[in-house]
Amino acid sequence: MGGEGVVTPGEVVGESNQLIAGRGVYLAPNGRTLRASLTGLRKILPPPPDSSDQRSTVEVVGHKAHGAVPQPGSVVIARVTKVMARMASADIMCVESKAVREKFTGIIRQQDVRATEIDKVDMYLSFRPGDIVRALVLSLGDARAYYLSTAKNELGVVSAQSIAGATMVPISWTEMQCPLTGQVERRKVAKAD
Amino acid sequence: MEYVNPLTGFRLDGRRPNEMRQIRGEIGVVAKADGSALFEMGNTKVIAAVYGPREVQNKGQQINNRALVRCEYSMANFSTGDRRRRPKGDRRSTEISLVIRQTMEACILTHLLPHSQIDIFVQVLQADGGTRSACINAATLALADAGIPMRDIVTSCSAGYLCSTPLLDLNYIEDSAGGPDVTVGMLAKMDKVTLLQMDAKLPMDIFENVMQLAIEGCKAVAHYIREVLLEHTKQLECHRGA
Repeated sequence: MGGEGVVTPGEVVGESNQLIAGRGVYLAPNGRTLRASLTGLRKILPPPPDSSDQRSTVEVVGHKAHGAVPQPGSVVIARVTKVMARMASADIMCVESKAVREKFTGIIRQQDVRATEIDKVDMYLSFRPGDIVRALVLSLGDARAYYLSTAKNELGVVSAQSIAGATMVPISWTEMQCPLTGQVERRKVAKAD
Repeated sequence: MEYVNPLTGFRLDGRRPNEMRQIRGEIGVVAKADGSALFEMGNTKVIAAVYGPREVQNKGQQINNRALVRCEYSMANFSTGDRRRRPKGDRRSTEISLVIRQTMEACILTHLLPHSQIDIFVQVLQADGGTRSACINAATLALADAGIPMRDIVTSCSAGYLCSTPLLDLNYIEDSAGGPDVTVGMLAKMDKVTLLQMDAKLPMDIFENVMQLAIEGCKAVAHYIREVLLEHTKQLECHRGA
């Protein structure tokens, strides 16, 4: 059974002594056959060149793409919802460059806002509700929220609105200026690339 | 009453004892759901909609290492001969919801989706016997449409025993005759029975014949469902321009 074709759940797509189960494929209880778990195209991926196991991977590519899920180490775009004394809450909207299907909650703790002088961070001078921030996912966190960090030059507030309602322009890594009124507001600004 | 004509061998609706009703399946009938399907077995028409995998709404019910599967069965007010309002939580609906949930839960690879919830809603639009089986078949199609990983295609079919003949796929009149009604649900390719229900009584050897007939019916439904899935996938490929 070489090559590609459309398979349905339960169909045998390979033998475990020749192929490894990838996405959309599972090992049947008898331990020998690999069966599809999704409806889609059967694809065979070559083995990575530096691994000891030289079997190819068989996977089934379905049509329904499930939404992106934040993983530790991925860069996300989030909108700040609440700013408190020691942490800020944000709704994660994009993971890497894919939008999510349902929003996830993230927390930026006081010690994760920046890399230097972390105990002297004032949350209200770093974020405001409504700011769009680029952050790094530190960990899956607890049942309520992911833990995010903006402690790098390229992380932090990407876009924010001033009190007057205009989109502000970044002028340094701690300040943004409103183009309408000229007022300068303090934020932890991301380095523009 | 003559459920099987002694001379010709035909049933009340002109079928042979081992003949199923005409089946029809359609995918993607509810646009908002993650997966949906319409399944017809003769005059019995059922719609299934699947939402998930999504975040668990009731955190108290969240399971650490697998997905939570919920199922709700309901009959529309206009589904039977007399238009009657059915209470939401009546015993028959609760029992069938439980049966469908257990059947689908055995088939979904729940350990791949921890901390999530899969909702299956099944609604009977027209009831003419075999609603349980039609619901399971519709739920299978809807789950496959939603892209939820499953072990195999679960199909279901019912069989009975009237006028000393095993009959496949009973309709409402044959079902109300008071004879035994055996419902079988099975994983088609792996040849494993996951649901077996019967009401009334049957001697053991006749039961084996009736169950075997229902299993043949399940395999025929599985063959048809597989073709519906392949056809739908080919259409999606066409629209994508692959």
